[in-house]
Order: sequence, then C-alpha cells, then structure tokens
Amino acid sequence: MEAEIRNRPAFANLIVNLQAGEKIVAEADAMASMSSSIEMSTRWNGSVFSALARRYLGSESMFVNEFTTSSTGHVVLTQPFPGDMACIELQGNTMFLQPGAFIACEPSVNLGLGWAGWRSYFGGEGLFRLKVSGKGRVWFGAYGAIFTRDIQDEYIVDTGHLVAYEPSINIRLGLAGGIFSSFFGGEGLVTRVKGPGKIYMQSRSFDGLAAWTNSHLY
Amino acid sequence: MKYQMLCRPAATAIRFQLEQGEGITCEVGAMIAMSTGLTVNTTSKSRGGSGGIIKGLKRMFSGENFFLNHFTAQQSNQSLLIGPAMMGDCVHHTLTGGTMIVQGTSWLASTGNIEIDTSWQGFSSALFSGESMFWVKCSGAGDLFLSSYGAIYPVQVNGEYTVDTGHIVAFEDTLQFRIGKAGKSLIGSFLGGEGLVCKFQGQGTLYCQSHNPPSFGKLLGPKLRPR
Repeated sequence: MEAEIRNRPAFANLIVNLQAGEKIVAEADAMASMSSSIEMSTRWNGSVFSALARRYLGSESMFVNEFTTSSTGHVVLTQPFPGDMACIELQGNTMFLQPGAFIACEPSVNLGLGWAGWRSYFGGEGLFRLKVSGKGRVWFGAYGAIFTRDIQDEYIVDTGHLVAYEPSINIRLGLAGGIFSSFFGGEGLVTRVKGPGKIYMQSRSFDGLAAWTNSHLY
Repeated sequence: MKYQMLCRPAATAIRFQLEQGEGITCEVGAMIAMSTGLTVNTTSKSRGGSGGIIKGLKRMFSGENFFLNHFTAQQSNQSLLIGPAMMGDCVHHTLTGGTMIVQGTSWLASTGNIEIDTSWQGFSSALFSGESMFWVKCSGAGDLFLSSYGAIYPVQVNGEYTVDTGHIVAFEDTLQFRIGKAGKSLIGSFLGGEGLVCKFQGQGTLYCQSHNPPSFGKLLGPKLRPR
C-alpha cells in the first residue's frame, strides 16, 4: 500500500494508493476525495464504551472509516486544521498521541485509549491519550509544523505543543519560570518531559490561535 | 501576459507581468502591490461587456464581491501582485471556450473575454453540501485563476470520482454530478463524519482542495468567546 504525504508542511494531506484487498483505517471525516472504486464502511472505534470514552474524553471520533477496494484506487485523507503530517512505522512498540492528532493507520495497528493522568489534564493536554500499538504505519497530524527530539534527561515543552511521545517518556507539569514570569511571561504552565525517548512537537498551538482571535473580538 | 505562482501551497500569491494594453480582472481586495503604470477600473460589469447591477448583485450572493477590479497596463512591463484573503493555494486553468463551474468564493482573477456569472445550484445539494449555495460560472476563452483554503490538486476525471462536498474548488461543466452517500448506508455515512459526498461522472478536469473551512471552524468556534 503506497502512501505519500503531500503539500508539507502547511496543508499536508495523505494520498493512499490501494490495490485489491488492501485496507486503510482513517478517523471520521478525514476523507477529502477518493476514486469511485473505493468502498467506505464505518465502524465503531473499538467497543461501544471505549468509542464513547474516546469521543468525550479523548477528543477522537467515535467512529472510524475503513477504505478498501476490489480493483485499484486512491483516497486523499486530510485533517481539519492546517499543518504538517508525519508517519511512524510501528514494529510491536507503542506510541501515545495527543487528542485530535490521529489521522489514519494500517488495519494491523491497534487503537486504544490510555489514561494520561490529572497532571496532563491540568496541563491542557487532556485526561486521555490515544495509544497506538502493534505493527504497521500510523499517520498523525499537527497544527503547525512537526519537530522531533530525542530526550535523554529532561526537556520543557509549552502546553499545547506536544503531539506524540513514546511511552518511556514521563510527563510532569511545571511552571515556566517563577510565579511572576509564568503569569506575565505568557508561558504559564509547561510540560516537563523526562526521557529517555522520542517526542513530537508542533510549532503552533490551537489554544494560542483561540486566545489571539478572542483578543480581537469585540 | 506572463504569470508566476509564488509561495505555494500555503501563502500563494500570483505575480503578473503585463504589456501595454493588456489587462486582467480580479476579485476586489485581491491586489497586494502593483507598478504605477497600471490603471484600475472598478465596475460591476464583467469584462465580457454585459453585466451591470443585476449581475453584480448575483455575484454578491455567491460570496463574490459586487464589484470587480479591471487592471490595464498603460505602459509596458508592468507588474501586478495579487493574492486571496485566506491562507491557501492558487491554481491556473486555461479555458478554451468551455465553461468552468467555480465554488462560491474561489474565483480570484481571469483574463480575456471570460464571462463571470452566478448560477443557482439548487436546494438539495446546497442544504447538505455545506458549501455555499451558489456557484460562479466562468465561460469563454482565456486564463482563469482560482484560490482555495488548503492545497489545490487537480483530478482528471475519466469515469467516476467522489469528493467530500467541502473539498470542491471548481470543475468543468462536461462533468455531471450528483450528491450521494459516502458509504453503503446512510447512517454509516453520517456517523463516519463524511455525510453526503459529491460523485462526479464524465470526462473533465476537477480541482479539489485539501482542507475545508467548516471543519477548521468547528474546532476553533467552541474555543472562542461568545459575543
């Protein structure tokens, strides 16, 4: 199954070429266009309860779409906001994704929900996170461009900028500076990530856009 | 007239080089910068001649502006830089006598004797498509420039092709289209988030955009302060 991420980094979209019998799983409303030979079917994202939990606690859709064909065709998959996409090849390992980041995966990948902890919740990163595991490729996106970093000891990421990370990473909340600079410096709370492991960050934050837009509304 | 697309696909702008006597018609507000030897004529008439107030009003309903800007070069080697309002892409299409149906706000500029007319898409497709109800019909011969939210990718349809309705930029009128469900079942289509999709049939060029404003707005909207 050939897949290519086009138009990076601002309006990244994924074009998947499917041969007969090949299948791709994508989040709801990810399809922009597709050949008429592609069949789309919708199913619950896991069991009923986990799907509901995923929707209301993880900001992921309750349903996923499976695209398959009996001949050949292509599907163009996208995300609601402008930004970059990345692909990870899982080989039995696990990866945690922030809410809203997941776009598509091969059917051999397991989608699960993991508890992120209250620290993550107060850091604006959500109570739950999506856990992808198994073997196969996973495509996820971000608002903005995607940066990766291998963490050895400790690193600081502004809240709202963490997209994905390996399970060996420990997340802790902290203040950016002292009380004064945190409040007036605009950084507020930050996430302290402790390695070893790899993290993916995004160059823009959605809450930053909302705050900026709000300040211009009258 | 020569044109050059700059900074695709996210912040696309088009730079024109016009010789004496050459002109181009653009969406009002599209001009970024221009040489001093260009005159601007703002009218409600499309270049083709016929037009006037009624056509201008129709254009307003389609999301396009009431007025059009006609730029004409009075000297040689004049440059004009235009761009759309939203972050996104632009694409060029050569019309050779046929008709291109363009989504409400995607028309950016055109040359020659291209008629710009607003047509009514009909209720059923409008209610479900999430797109504006109106389309802009461009017919004649010349260069057509379209803009979008997202990256534009062309598809040469030969048979059938399916597009999520918020992702259509423009299509040749040699293509037939009907609104249908995305998956096999109606409920599945809605739960799967796709809702209704547009199925194109025939032969012709179709321009799609990689992102659509309503999905972005649905995510941003709840975070905004109520007014």
